[in-house]
Amino acid sequence: MRDDEKQSIFKDIRVIVFILAILGSIIFIHPGYSSEEGFTTNLNYGLDLEGGSWLQLKLQGAVAQLDAESGLLVKEIVNINLAQDVEIASVDETDDDIAVTFTSEQILTNNQMDQLGLGQTTISRSNNVTTVILHSSKETLISTYIGDSLKAEVLPTLISDGVEYEIRTAITEEELEELMAKVGGSIVTDLNGNAIYKEGVTTETRDMTKDILSDKLNSLGLKDIPVKTVGDDYILIDFAGIDLATAKNIAEKPGKFEIRIITQGNESEHVLYGDEIESVSIVGYQEDGGQWYVPFTLTDEGALALQRVAIETGATQDPMSHNLVMYLDENEVYSAPLSYSAAERLATTPIYSWQASTGPDDDSKAQAEELQIHLRAGALPVNVELMGSGHVDATLGQQFKTQAVIAGLLALLAVAFVIFSKYHKPAILIPMVGTSISEVIMILGFAAAIGWQLDLASIAGIIAAIGTGIDHLVIITDEVLYEGKLPPRKVYLSRITKAFGIIFAASATTIIAMSPLVVMGFGALKGFAITTIVGVLIGILIARPVYGKVIHEVLAAEAAEE
Amino acid sequence: MEVGLTERLDSFVRKHNDRQLAAVPIAIFVISLLILAFVFATSGAPVKLGMEFKGGTMVSVATEESVSFIEQKYTDYPITDVRQAGSRVIIQFGPMNDELQQELVTDVIDSYESVEISQIGPVYGESLQKQAVKAVIISFIGMAIVVFLIFKTFVPSLAVVVSALSDIVIAAAFMNIVGIELSLGTVAALLMLIGYSVDSDILLTTRVLKRRGSPQENITNAMHTGVTMTTTTLAALVVMYLVSTYAYLLSSSLSQITLLSNISIVLIFGLVADMMNTWMLNTSILRWHVTSVGTRRRKA
Repeated sequence: MRDDEKQSIFKDIRVIVFILAILGSIIFIHPGYSSEEGFTTNLNYGLDLEGGSWLQLKLQGAVAQLDAESGLLVKEIVNINLAQDVEIASVDETDDDIAVTFTSEQILTNNQMDQLGLGQTTISRSNNVTTVILHSSKETLISTYIGDSLKAEVLPTLISDGVEYEIRTAITEEELEELMAKVGGSIVTDLNGNAIYKEGVTTETRDMTKDILSDKLNSLGLKDIPVKTVGDDYILIDFAGIDLATAKNIAEKPGKFEIRIITQGNESEHVLYGDEIESVSIVGYQEDGGQWYVPFTLTDEGALALQRVAIETGATQDPMSHNLVMYLDENEVYSAPLSYSAAERLATTPIYSWQASTGPDDDSKAQAEELQIHLRAGALPVNVELMGSGHVDATLGQQFKTQAVIAGLLALLAVAFVIFSKYHKPAILIPMVGTSISEVIMILGFAAAIGWQLDLASIAGIIAAIGTGIDHLVIITDEVLYEGKLPPRKVYLSRITKAFGIIFAASATTIIAMSPLVVMGFGALKGFAITTIVGVLIGILIARPVYGKVIHEVLAAEAAEE
Repeated sequence: MEVGLTERLDSFVRKHNDRQLAAVPIAIFVISLLILAFVFATSGAPVKLGMEFKGGTMVSVATEESVSFIEQKYTDYPITDVRQAGSRVIIQFGPMNDELQQELVTDVIDSYESVEISQIGPVYGESLQKQAVKAVIISFIGMAIVVFLIFKTFVPSLAVVVSALSDIVIAAAFMNIVGIELSLGTVAALLMLIGYSVDSDILLTTRVLKRRGSPQENITNAMHTGVTMTTTTLAALVVMYLVSTYAYLLSSSLSQITLLSNISIVLIFGLVADMMNTWMLNTSILRWHVTSVGTRRRKA
């Protein structure tokens, strides 16, 4: 190529864009060499090339709107928890209160009623019959009924058209319908008569599960491990550099949670471990005290242990000098004295429902939210099912990486060989292979710029994009060289337009064919689809127009020399 | 080499009339459909489903141990298949519960070198399967719509779509014959085939419909370009297949890359089918179409 022609090429806008794109890509890829690390780049590699493991978890649960008869609900709840068959005497429902009066021949205590956690109760006994008046709400009754039946947490949420119940365990629509039928109820239907039921969990619960996992990984010093949510029900965790067995342990095993009461100075006495915490509800705000708090309940043993230790240490007499301290994995996460009212009650009866208050301001709210996670000791709020997992040893990943690069280079050589044996002209071969290589550089540059993780599937995508790329360069070349030699400029322009018509049409079909994978985005194929599409776009918008220009110049120069 | 192929193909196309030309690809298409129907009737899916769609665990390790030794060793687990590939052994398990899974994973990671494990739950596998089927159908319909928009004439567009369909059907039947299971990689290859296979069809149709000159001349020209395109792609894929499948024969430090191997072999057969479908099936329909409407066209 002669100098004056080079200049005319460099004035072309397409060529300028191309050169800028290549330079930008190289800057983003940032290739380097150091004696310690060898060849280095800014590229991120996926787990299958870097080594590590991944877990995909499905959050089990259901969200539905429910209705049932209050009397039957109370009857069933008492039956499940206390194994007593009570008679419902009357049900009085008003807007914000439900009063259920029921009787039993057996003795029912305040303590037992408290343990049910339904609401205010008044108990009286005469003529060998216990009469209980219970003030509660529909939401509490339904949540408690389902929660006790399934041994799972149920959270009612007020929404615009009623109350939505989130059941934090797997239950099918049929099972739920059956459960509700027992208490004269059903799943509420919408205007079209379809049951308002959705498998899965609410977005809040999904995000909370994600936070708990992130929190747990952070506490183990694994700050770089991303916890991603996929849709509303899936959570994906990539554990770079961690083997699958360890990864599963981290995700599934709860931390060690402990409550202790200060005896004197820095000394304290053990009260209970995390397994005595029965349930943890969501953070609330106490209007009268002006405090953020986390409600939680204790098991029988837990409540008795707390009462015993509180009396032994003297916390019931002098709560201010005997703080109740919570530890997670040996780190203090909460410390506060018992309230005077609780201390007084604890002296005589065990308390099952507790509230850990943190304070009045926004910081306290955040603190309460964190404590809620800690109280769960890293146990997840919903049951999770392992949907998929994978593991690649770092050495194997490295091997894959090397081999994929070898496959790419050899493929390029094979293509070059076929091209050369067809055209027999280095003047065509060099720009063609050069264009292909430039497309690879731009795809990699793009990947580096957006922090895209290159995995095996993406590399297959790059090779696929290069494959179509070469096809398109062949179309351009043949169109320009029609009848074996370079046509006059006017004819050349109309031909190159035609060639690009074919190329754009072909690219459009490839992009359309790949797009379902991008939208559905399952597993490794999303990477494959995105790289292919990006590769095709880079090819038709940046690289191939320049090839069209260059091949004309090169052939014109050749013709001039002849 | 490919010049010879092009010339032979060209003279074959010239010597036979449209009906004769279409006969071979149509026969192969029908046979492929029968194979898919047979597999569907016996197994419930047109192509044998792999672990990713059925659920289960695949373990691949570097080891000197024999297949029968490993079968014996993991007899407590739901083992379904053990295969040797060079210095590696690939073990497949059916679905198992979480504790057993954890036990297996721990055992494998502790006792072997350069381990690869992938596990898919049966429920997830089923949902992947549904999504994959949906992806292939949507992708095909999308491609068909684009083709109709490009050419705006019914018969030529239909010819392109039919030959793309035939490519996929033949590739899928081929998978059944040689025993390649449907995996995420092979689904990707089938989708890629939808995009790839129409490239040469679009080239052919554009040249025949939009260029002056006799249809046969345009077909010959398109064939020279098209066959070069497909051979370059095939060359790249054959190399990719060899490197990802047999590289371990050259050096024990190399291993099979199943994903790349699967993608490339399915694409290779799809593209061979595409050569036939483009230059025999699509060409014959197109040639018949232009000659039958040719008189009108020439007057205008």
